Amino acid sequence: MLLTLDLNDARPLHEQVAGAIRRAIGEGSYAPGDRLPPARDLADALGINPNTVLRALRELREEGLLEFRRGRGVSVARHADGRALLRERARELLDEAKRYGYRREDVITLLEELT
Amino acid sequence: MNIRIAALSGAAVTAAMVALPLATRERLPEPLAVHWGPGSVPDGTASFAVFFTAQLGIWVLMWLFALTAVTRGAGREATAPAGAAGGWALLAGGGLLALGVSGTTVLANLDAASWTGARLPAWAPVAIAVLPLAVALAAAWLGRGRPGERSPAAEPPSLRLRPGQRAVWVSRVSNPWLVALTGAAAAGLVVAGVLLLTGIATGGPLAGLVPALALVLLLGLFTSAVRARVTADGVAIGFGPLGRPVRRISLAKIDRAWSEPRHPSQVGGWGLRGVPGGSTIMLRGGDCLVIRYRSGGELAVSIDDAGRGAALINALVAERGVA
Repeated sequence: MLLTLDLNDARPLHEQVAGAIRRAIGEGSYAPGDRLPPARDLADALGINPNTVLRALRELREEGLLEFRRGRGVSVARHADGRALLRERARELLDEAKRYGYRREDVITLLEELT
Repeated sequence: MNIRIAALSGAAVTAAMVALPLATRERLPEPLAVHWGPGSVPDGTASFAVFFTAQLGIWVLMWLFALTAVTRGAGREATAPAGAAGGWALLAGGGLLALGVSGTTVLANLDAASWTGARLPAWAPVAIAVLPLAVALAAAWLGRGRPGERSPAAEPPSLRLRPGQRAVWVSRVSNPWLVALTGAAAAGLVVAGVLLLTGIATGGPLAGLVPALALVLLLGLFTSAVRARVTADGVAIGFGPLGRPVRRISLAKIDRAWSEPRHPSQVGGWGLRGVPGGSTIMLRGGDCLVIRYRSGGELAVSIDDAGRGAALINALVAERGVA
């Protein structure tokens, strides 16, 4: 599972982790029914508290993306929903735009130009 | 074509191994001498039925393995000739070994009054040891196929890392058979321990079983699962369900990485496999993460999602090069 976190992101860490996992599932790392690496492994690799990862996993369970099973760990329940993924990407786009000095309105204009 | 040769020659060996003992059955003692000590003195016996079944069973098993390896190798000759070469070696060498063992056993027992009178010709053990090996090497050489392109000519996978971004890759793989075996060994140890400690069973075969079970358990703990992690610090590979011990590889040592399918038949089986210049951690056939060191060596790990791991390694190595 490939996870990326943006160090400049102002959102709470658990939201970012949830976003990263959602993206990894959306990109096809995991099919429905596949088991995720244990939260401990993810937390170790990212260098964050395991509880933060657990909180992110619980959020995704509430979303219906993951399911927790006793003794079998965490597995993917269904494909990531397109809207949630798009939202994630749009947020990244906004962040990148900000880095180049563009505001939200500029990005909207840009999108309208594209159609 | 190749597969037909393998099947036909194997069938010929099988026919000989069925026909020879049956044709000479009337002239063989019962039981037969099947093992000889120093000075060609027989020291082990088996009934005709056991001898016949065992020699045939062992050969048929070898034949099936060889057929599988040859068939698989033929499917992807460009990338995996090693498996096919091993298959041909097993077919030719194994066939000759089986015929040799069976033939000399029958020959030694032929017209003997009882098994103690069976004399093994002095040349037989040497011939059985040397000839099949030589033939196996020759067959491997002839059946090696075209040398495959080992490293992909295509651009190794990579991905774009943005500044201020932390990217990590985590994956794991476990072999359910090895996990089950390890679990069975652990359960067996517990049962044996309880029986021995409570005195229900004492010594004998049970005590002899304990070291073997402990060995299986120990090996299983280290090789039934593997977890891998790629971070900006480098690559870490943890062995066993506990993830210990960990082997760390710093990014500075890595030239590049890619993923490719590899199979146990190509690397010599399951577990930790090493030859000079390349070692493999093989838990299951299929997708493997291959890391090429700057020093020229290679490390391959059978692991899920290897393509993304390789891409991240390449991106991190490239980033280091720029910085």
